Amino acid sequence: MPRKAAITGIGVVSALGAGREPTLAALREGRTGIAPVRYLKTSHTEFLVGEVKLSDEEMTRALRIPESQATTRTSLMGMVAVREALAHARLQRKSGLRIALVSGTTVGGMDKSEQYYLDFLAGDTQNAYISTHSCGACTEMIADYFGIFSRVQTISTACSSAANAIMLGAMLVEEGRVDVAVAGGSECLTKFHLNGFNTLMILDRGQCKPFDARRAGLNLGEGAAYLVLEAEDALGGRGVEPLCRISGYANTCDAYHQTASSPNGDGAYLSMAKALEAAQLTPQDISYINAHGTGTENNDLSEGQAIQRLFCGGIPPVSSTKSFTGHATSAAGGVEAVISTLALQHSFIPANLNFAQPMPELSFTPAAGGDSPAPLRHVLSNSFGFGGNDTSLIFSKI
Amino acid sequence: MMSRTNDVYILAAKQISVQPPLSDEWMEAPLRYGEQPYVRAVDPDYKQHFAPNEARRLGKILKRALLTSRQAMTASGIAKPDAVVTATGLGCIDNTELFLDALVREGEALLKPSYFMQSTHNSVSSLIAIDARCHGYNSTYAHNGTSFECALEDTFMQLSRGQIQTALVGAHDEMTPGYFALLSRIGYLGHAPGGFSGEVALSMMLAAKPQERSLCRLRGVEMEYHPTGEALRQALRRLLQGAQCRMEEVDAVMVGLSGQPSNDDAYASICPELFPHKQLLRYKHLFGESYTAPGLGVYAAAVCLHRQRIPAHLFVDCESGEQRGVRHILFYNHFEEKNHSLILLSAC
Repeated sequence: MPRKAAITGIGVVSALGAGREPTLAALREGRTGIAPVRYLKTSHTEFLVGEVKLSDEEMTRALRIPESQATTRTSLMGMVAVREALAHARLQRKSGLRIALVSGTTVGGMDKSEQYYLDFLAGDTQNAYISTHSCGACTEMIADYFGIFSRVQTISTACSSAANAIMLGAMLVEEGRVDVAVAGGSECLTKFHLNGFNTLMILDRGQCKPFDARRAGLNLGEGAAYLVLEAEDALGGRGVEPLCRISGYANTCDAYHQTASSPNGDGAYLSMAKALEAAQLTPQDISYINAHGTGTENNDLSEGQAIQRLFCGGIPPVSSTKSFTGHATSAAGGVEAVISTLALQHSFIPANLNFAQPMPELSFTPAAGGDSPAPLRHVLSNSFGFGGNDTSLIFSKI
Repeated sequence: MMSRTNDVYILAAKQISVQPPLSDEWMEAPLRYGEQPYVRAVDPDYKQHFAPNEARRLGKILKRALLTSRQAMTASGIAKPDAVVTATGLGCIDNTELFLDALVREGEALLKPSYFMQSTHNSVSSLIAIDARCHGYNSTYAHNGTSFECALEDTFMQLSRGQIQTALVGAHDEMTPGYFALLSRIGYLGHAPGGFSGEVALSMMLAAKPQERSLCRLRGVEMEYHPTGEALRQALRRLLQGAQCRMEEVDAVMVGLSGQPSNDDAYASICPELFPHKQLLRYKHLFGESYTAPGLGVYAAAVCLHRQRIPAHLFVDCESGEQRGVRHILFYNHFEEKNHSLILLSAC
């Protein structure tokens, strides 16, 4: 078998809290993190959001960053999540290992750009935040906080960014280009995104209802999540136990529309099928699908059709945990990779909250959640982005 | 490192930049911009290439990307590459600015979706895929001044693993007056004399197998973040070893000298150390500075290797005349002295 990447640490911050323990507890108790707007300064208070319940100041203090240092919410959340992942994997500062940081983001430092835009135009009082705007800058702020990374890269493919970062991280490890890859994504909630998604009329004013006939859109969220990936055959030297492995992955393009999915879900079908092929698994091997499941009319129909087509011999439990976290856009693939890892470790199916009415187009209904009767073996996680960017990752027990 | 040594090939490359569009005219008669700090790309006549409604609907960066992509596909005879991989430092910054401006000035009530829909970084890559109906791998790297090298390395890995056979790799950045003003203020751009801001639209077709008219071979890509001198030397050794090429065989080193002291000083200290006695080549004096300018540097080196000729105007040492019979060009780039990248290109 070709070399595969094992996961030896996870770190997450989302609407469910900071850390894997509160995340696991909320998932098991069926407690959503989606709530009225509290931190984002927006006039659109009619929408529910999945905010990280920490202010920038609170994160800055917790990370012991000088208040005078220019940071962005995206990089702060990234630091919180990477810190947990590194500690979990017991990676020391002077490990002598070649470590890459691969991060996905799209709005990057837009939170500060939208706050200081008029200052930028008027004078030079907020120049520091011009430099923190770009996606690359946000990733480097995370990297520089730790000072252990010898490679740093940013992927920006909208809502599949973190999943693509994990895919690249796995590839770098498999190819032996690095010893360790810390891969995932970070994205903060901004007025830019909230208003952008609002102009597309795909936001639900209530709690999102993935795979439900009454679904009315998504709840925007935010967060950061990273996995520590290292070659399975090199773990012995470090004395760490793998949590699971990334057995397959694929990215495909729906090539249908800039912001909508094809009705048949061709891109989604292909990404799931190719990931299975890469993992040398059949659809029957999958114990649980963590769906993209945004709760929009378009996504859930398209993804649902693709699942139905590929898993025609029997559909495994399917749920969208965006009903807990909201849609953390570029970070979503990371948050859901952490959730998939937790599900594998603890053999439970996360619930698909707010479901009541089956979609007439689909032969399956989403999972109610709870302990799995049999141990989970393989979990498939989907992340789809604008431009029909479709990524599927498969996490497997070792 | 167990990185494989398979060569991959650059079959074709098409560009729109501050030099004459969709041509290699800069080899013979480059345009010069004197003391101008801010230069927009020379756009071709889009009416010849797009239907009127299509041209209106697409922003500059998207039109340029689509046209260079279509031409790279035509030139290589590959209508549907297995992968589309794009590099962009700032993405669709024009639409991003328009949406942000409306949001801040007019508030959150009356915004329209069109700017937002074409504001994400991966609008470019997905537009190309939609246009060519490519259902394969589609990714976008947005890492400041090393975005292009990230895209190239990803493609190189997938081609040498046999995961894909062909890939369209792009480097695309537009520069608006507004964003130029901001980037000048923080010293990245615009400190004329000596260096100017340009724009980039480059599309290259890469493949695992050569064609009769391939431009050159891509032998490897290495990247380092905040390396020590020793780490940089190791990266160079890895690159050359992987390609089984000796430093003595390298004809010249293409570097990112831009005329801006904050950028150039590091080259002045690193190059003599890392590449002793090697002739240095530059490209930003012709193409300008941009986050994805390295794409144009690799393109310029590829054209030189294809034509077996380095024109005199690319040499940093102005005493040098044109060089013929060139076999190997090393490419070295740094961004703000943090990100360093090395690429080896060889004649076919």
